[in-house]
Amino acid sequence: MLDSSGENMVDVAMVGAGQTKFGNHPLGLKGMWAEAIQKAIQSVDNGFDSPDVEEAFIGSIAFGGSQLGNTAALLTEHSGMEGVSVRRVENACASSGFALRDAWMAIKSGQADVVVAGGIEKMNDLSASRKRYWLGVSGDTEWERLAGLTFPGTYALTARRYFHEFESTHDDLVHVSVKNHMHGFENEVAHLRKQVSFEKAQSGFMVADPLTLYDCCPTSDGASAVILVADHLAHKFTDTPVWVKGSGAGSDHLALHDRPSITQLRATQSAAAKAYKTAGISASDVDLAEVHDCFTIAEVLATEDLGFAGRGLGGTFAREGEGRRNEGSVTINASGGLKSKGHPLGATGTGQAVEIFKQLRHQVEPERQVRGAEIGLTHNVGGSGATCAVHIFGRER
Amino acid sequence: MACSQYGPNWAGPDGDRLTVLIALLKEIPAESINLNGFEEHLEYPPSVSVQAIIEASTSWIVDEDTGMYLHTDKEAFCVAVSPSKDVPNWPEFETQEYDKTMQTELNDQWKIEVEGVSQGAYVSQAQHTISVPSRLGLKAQIDGERMVWPPRQLNAMAQRIDTEGMQLTETATILTWTRLSAAGAPSEFSSRAPILDGVATVLVEFDEGPKGVFMMADDESGKLEIDERVDFVFRRLYGQDGMMHYGLKAVLSKS
Repeated sequence: MLDSSGENMVDVAMVGAGQTKFGNHPLGLKGMWAEAIQKAIQSVDNGFDSPDVEEAFIGSIAFGGSQLGNTAALLTEHSGMEGVSVRRVENACASSGFALRDAWMAIKSGQADVVVAGGIEKMNDLSASRKRYWLGVSGDTEWERLAGLTFPGTYALTARRYFHEFESTHDDLVHVSVKNHMHGFENEVAHLRKQVSFEKAQSGFMVADPLTLYDCCPTSDGASAVILVADHLAHKFTDTPVWVKGSGAGSDHLALHDRPSITQLRATQSAAAKAYKTAGISASDVDLAEVHDCFTIAEVLATEDLGFAGRGLGGTFAREGEGRRNEGSVTINASGGLKSKGHPLGATGTGQAVEIFKQLRHQVEPERQVRGAEIGLTHNVGGSGATCAVHIFGRER
Repeated sequence: MACSQYGPNWAGPDGDRLTVLIALLKEIPAESINLNGFEEHLEYPPSVSVQAIIEASTSWIVDEDTGMYLHTDKEAFCVAVSPSKDVPNWPEFETQEYDKTMQTELNDQWKIEVEGVSQGAYVSQAQHTISVPSRLGLKAQIDGERMVWPPRQLNAMAQRIDTEGMQLTETATILTWTRLSAAGAPSEFSSRAPILDGVATVLVEFDEGPKGVFMMADDESGKLEIDERVDFVFRRLYGQDGMMHYGLKAVLSKS
């Protein structure tokens, strides 16, 4: 039972995790999900039988509308989980972050012992006009979108205001882009595996002033899945589970104009506070964090809202390389982040968890390993900050 | 009488007879007015009635029994308000230079938007109609000590907020801005974005406190600064499902 302090009789372990390559995937929804879940199952050291799954939470916006209804039932039927209690979870780009949280809560509450959480999105086989419509469905349709704004615009408004309020310029965002491309270069599942020079990232074509192409994540296909179990089952599956030590979620006004400040995300601050509390740690304990850099300015804000940098110092944090792998105080986006690894909207959150799982178990490409990683964090944001889920993982229970 | 700022032959990238009319009605003391068949001269049917637009955007009341008549010219983007039912003698209006290629391209895009199969976002007609006083007239609600705009049904304590409120002053301060390329613009605007060299959008704060997002109008200079003041004008927003949708856009304040 969960009491108000977060103390709980059941701890939650992640015993398997897998994902497809993010990018232009040749398979459709069923094929991508099958690939992700198979990889998750194959990653379980002592073997795993899919019929043992009791609940499944699958995050997706159902981009394109090809399977808006009963998405989860279709996918689980095609992946060895017939008859399982399933649902699609939707919180825009935070869909699978919330699927992960729901899976965690299902085990914490004692309602289930073996749960799958995942996400999926197929974005790149649509016409340009259809894609452009679907990319803008998660803002305030009436008062933002139909007033001329989609997310590049929303984050551009945020960036310009951030430069106005603090000692920061677009060059700070360029540092984020260069870093994440460097981190993603060796990531075998990353969408954009190319490094970019500072000068090149400075001079991309303008998407939404002041944000250029190199400030924006790509649209990607992809699927990801993790397997969570109750503590008493963990060592049946592996001797090295990754423990879900903390979880927190929050929300804020959907529309930018309703927020008291547009240069911080209250949803992140709220989610992080709860996650740190349930994990019993603080930001300084985190070794690596996969944060939601849908646009470079989003990473700058995230470093502040998660407590890695002080208010207004996120730009300085980026400029001074504090988030670079094995160089700074904490590695930010060792995977390459959304910027390089890619952003299949519904799959991003559990994709972040897959990265943390591999990093904490030393199963990533050697060049990408974060040395001495004990505590990892995932940060998954819906839209421009209407929703946020933060999870904390550890090698120790 | 009034004519488009570009002269009788074009009402600008986002203008038409209705936008010219609203601009005129805002300049003269409000009375009641007889539409006199005005709506039949619009290129595209508006998403809500001309009466609703006039009464939300201005202090004028539409009354088919009144003796003040609306007139417009079939060939020109000119409008007049007159106590006579006879068609007025239209004067020679000044014509401003404009790019005729742009005019043709934009007219074509408006037609495609209105008449094509929409790939755009959708707001229910009910919601769209309920929001008209707020969208066109900047009517705000009062919730305790604060003003609420855009409108809400319930406040943070799940209590009903009065629909009756007050109007925001039609001027605000730019908090931040951006210019969207076609790649960055919503699909409802993306076909016109390259013709216009982008879509400028501002986040503004009204003097009474509420904030909002608006597209800019008449911003040929392309230069915007935080803390600049803006006023608001009634213009076309986008076409969809056979109708033209109107709203307010921001213009740099002249004062």
